[in-house]
Amino acid sequence: MENKLHVENLRISFRTSNGKVQAVRGINFDLQKGETLAIVGESGSGKSVTAKAILGILAGNAIVEDGEIIYDGKDLLKIDEDDFHKIRGDKIAMIFQDPMSSLNPIIRIGKQLTEAMILKGKARQKESKKLFNTYLAELKKAMIAAEANGNSEKAAELQLKCAQFDKFEYKHIALESEYNFAFESAEEALSDAKAIRFEMEKNAPTDISYRINRIITLCKRSIQTYVVNEKKNELLTAASALKSSVKSAKKGNYDDSISALSDIIAALEYSVKLPAPNFFCMGYYLTYSGKELPNMPIPELNDYLHRYLDENFMLDFIANAKQGLIYSDAKSLKEKREAIESLKSHKSVFAEENLNKKACYKALKEMNKEVMETVDPLCLVKDSPTYTFASGFKTELDRYFNGISKNKKEKRRFERQTAKWNRLVAKGKEPDWKVAPAALTDFDALKTIMAHQIDSLIEHYQKAISAETSRNFDAETVAVIDYLKEKASGVVLKVTKSMAKEKALRLMEEVGIPEPRKRYTQYPFEFSGGMRQRIVIAIALAANPDILICDEPTTALDVTIQSQILELINNLKRERKLSVIFITHDLGVVANMADKIAVMYAGKIVEYGTSEDIFYESAHPYTWALLSSMPDLDTNGKLDAIPGTPPNMIYPPAGDAFAARNKYAMKIDFEQEPPMFKISDTHYAATWLLHPKAPKVEPPKVITERIARMRAKKEANNGQ
Amino acid sequence: MDNDMSNREVLLKVEHLCQFFGSNKAVNDVNFEIHKGEVFGLVGESGCGKTTTGRSIIKLYNITSGNVWFKGIRIGAGILSYKEAISQAKKDLKEGKITSDECSAIIAENKKQIKLAKYDQTHCDKEYQKEQVAKVKAEYADKLKDATPELRKEYSDRLRKARKTKLVTQIQMIFQDPIASLDPRMTVREIISEGLVIQGEKNKQVINDKVYQMLELVGLVREHAGRYPHEFSGGQRQRIGIARSIIMNPEMIIADEPVSALDVSIQAQVINLLNDIREKMNLTILFIAHDLSVVKYFSDRIGVMYYGKIVELAPSDELFLNPLHPYTRSLLSAIPLPDPEYEKTRKRIVYNPLADHDYSVEGPTMREVKPGHFVLCNQAEYDEYIKNLK
Repeated sequence: MENKLHVENLRISFRTSNGKVQAVRGINFDLQKGETLAIVGESGSGKSVTAKAILGILAGNAIVEDGEIIYDGKDLLKIDEDDFHKIRGDKIAMIFQDPMSSLNPIIRIGKQLTEAMILKGKARQKESKKLFNTYLAELKKAMIAAEANGNSEKAAELQLKCAQFDKFEYKHIALESEYNFAFESAEEALSDAKAIRFEMEKNAPTDISYRINRIITLCKRSIQTYVVNEKKNELLTAASALKSSVKSAKKGNYDDSISALSDIIAALEYSVKLPAPNFFCMGYYLTYSGKELPNMPIPELNDYLHRYLDENFMLDFIANAKQGLIYSDAKSLKEKREAIESLKSHKSVFAEENLNKKACYKALKEMNKEVMETVDPLCLVKDSPTYTFASGFKTELDRYFNGISKNKKEKRRFERQTAKWNRLVAKGKEPDWKVAPAALTDFDALKTIMAHQIDSLIEHYQKAISAETSRNFDAETVAVIDYLKEKASGVVLKVTKSMAKEKALRLMEEVGIPEPRKRYTQYPFEFSGGMRQRIVIAIALAANPDILICDEPTTALDVTIQSQILELINNLKRERKLSVIFITHDLGVVANMADKIAVMYAGKIVEYGTSEDIFYESAHPYTWALLSSMPDLDTNGKLDAIPGTPPNMIYPPAGDAFAARNKYAMKIDFEQEPPMFKISDTHYAATWLLHPKAPKVEPPKVITERIARMRAKKEANNGQ
Repeated sequence: MDNDMSNREVLLKVEHLCQFFGSNKAVNDVNFEIHKGEVFGLVGESGCGKTTTGRSIIKLYNITSGNVWFKGIRIGAGILSYKEAISQAKKDLKEGKITSDECSAIIAENKKQIKLAKYDQTHCDKEYQKEQVAKVKAEYADKLKDATPELRKEYSDRLRKARKTKLVTQIQMIFQDPIASLDPRMTVREIISEGLVIQGEKNKQVINDKVYQMLELVGLVREHAGRYPHEFSGGQRQRIGIARSIIMNPEMIIADEPVSALDVSIQAQVINLLNDIREKMNLTILFIAHDLSVVKYFSDRIGVMYYGKIVELAPSDELFLNPLHPYTRSLLSAIPLPDPEYEKTRKRIVYNPLADHDYSVEGPTMREVKPGHFVLCNQAEYDEYIKNLK
């Protein structure tokens, strides 16, 4: 699976008037494509702060002390605001906890929903154009370099081919959007007609004339050469019959309307099932053949056009593009070999006893230049270690040279304090303060880290070189062509106001808002909490993001709505291959949602595993407490509440932060922080109870009994 | 169990309660009784009118129609139903269904009812005050003949308080949002004692003692009395809200989603606290919530609301064993449980009123399918429900 997001050793603090609050204290996790990671914990455990860091919206008093968040080859903690604009909302979207404060109170819901769509539509058009042009230019360069060999005729031919590719894309997009418009109208008319027929059969339709008119408009829109063509006449007669039946329907006589609706439904159902024509081929045919489209059924037409395109253009172009890819790859590999040599030769600069500042930065600059040259512009998957190498390396280097002066100061302070302490002790006094240990920068450790960074990059390149023969250039070429097609459609796809409105209405329906047309023009205060949260979700989904961060999206909602919204998020995740980070304090809601669960307490992940690991074999006392403190449908006795409140993170406790509230706490829990113990390949927990020398402790009865009960119920169900 | 519950004294009775906001029928013809010492749960999705029901009972709104009886006294009354009866009578007269004598009789009767209802709606507290004052006077009538100054002072104190007593203060409310429901500019002491002060208590010592007692009862310490709400965590704030509601020694508490704004671990603490207090003070609670597991755990009887109407009302075990109304079933099917395997197979039942009911022939009414178990249904559905009973 593809790794979408990588968070490593993230540390975040907040400067406050009372001191520095350590909100997140070194957390690591990975997020795969199409996976849901649930982060569970109490308020103040740092889960929202983590999410905000990923989105780059930390409060002004936040300090990112350490760590990295890698998305798409970039470290989100280091990129600038302009780059973040392209990611935030578009690639990574967030649903906030409080639907009250995440909507603008003085702007109508409809405007808020479509605003981002229209803006993003414009931005995407621009960006697609840029990406398409640069990629095609790179491809052209590579193709010419690979095949022309200085032959100017050949070069001109290749140039022409690329230009052709550039051109005919536009024609097919126009055709396609025409088709999509008609097809979507047909689908909408079908579902509307079914709904109103059902209500008429039940004798309780509402808003008849408006809805019927709407259906008739949609039916008319759906008439197009490739959507409703054969059944055109049937549909039109049924529509006019429907129109004339409105009067009697208003009086309560639905028979005419029902029969007309049934005709419409039959016609539309037939049309919706027809296959879609291949517009890409069609566009080429229309542009370059100079002939009208042949009149034949869609499947045969598709075959014919496909053959025409392949014979006249595509096969040649693919062959050329493949040569271009192979050439570019070979070039990149050559650069990589050179980069390895350069890295190896520069490594000695960073291994000296005392580093030379000037030489070091110069070496880094040279290395960066070499490394950036290895990037293959035609490779669709970004080479993230290459992109992040320089910035990561510079951080360590800065720390090294800053450390030199800092260490001197720190040493002086430590000596002064120790001397004072000793003086007081010699006088027989007992000071009520302690000497803070000197926080010195460890130069050797930094040097090892730097050496390791160089080594791992070399290793990465060596791997790429050894994998050279295993690459499948045919498949890659097809992927490249698809990429170009996609970008080209992005250029032409303009988001108009009416399109955005249609999309917004559909989204509102999708998230379960009744009467979306009426609601579209209302203000946020006219919505109840649940409805407001649905709007927020609809806004987040409007941009079709890659990663969706849900910060307690259902906490303010009731059970049915919660269940609907969880289902909604689950479905969207499956359909759009979304990666979801789901933040909540309620373990109950994540059982179905999550693939992996991270339980957080006091800024640390205390347990990490798959959903089954956490619910059936949880190992950390905090997870136990969370699981046993909520009543379920069979709970009778007193609830196992967790005593006390989370610790004050200005002074994080020594040892395990949960120890004070933990009834299984041992002496060591108050003294030393537990490491992450590995339980299985997917399951980790940070508690001393897992140490081989620790006493055996069973999870609380409430949990084991519940698991046994659920198993018994399941077996009983299977038995039936 | 059902029997001994129904034998108990009825503390609160809600009859045909309607609360309309313009054309929005937030609560539409709701009937239920709450017995003394019972926890009555009201569940339903947001916007179904459960909070409005609670607020109508405590007279935060003037109800549109119907009656609310508390301890046998009518504390709330609406007039819409009488008005409708009058206009119906006038219409019938036009159509010739009734004679003009009958019509004027109906109108006179309903006008009388309207007058009574209006009087009760505004004067129930005054009536109660008069009663209390008379009681105090009767109690001291003999003693006052040869009274010491202390006794006289005590008497005037009692009399002053009796004059300010309100019947409605015996119903108190705990609000959902612990942040919004506490005044940020008042100390905890002022917040908790406000009710006492309004009632005429002037002795600082008494107030302090009472506040400390309440703080300790809800698991806070005396030192907290001097602080401001922002210095507390969410769970502690909710405890302050609870302390404020019990200081008046109420007989009944309306808890409007008291735990849904809290963290899971704190929720358990607050639920345990409510349970303890309920036992200690012998409280009756109207528990409004949407979290069915919590309601099931906490309530004796549960009413399920859907769009302003109670669709099913039953003892809590019975409701979960025999959910009859399709909406109740859909609610139950939406409860998430901490078990991945169960969750992956859980199917949510969707409630669609049009598809699930056929009320074209006969409209629904509240019918008792089993002692204590009521469902909103028509005869055909009733027969089917009886068949499906476990």
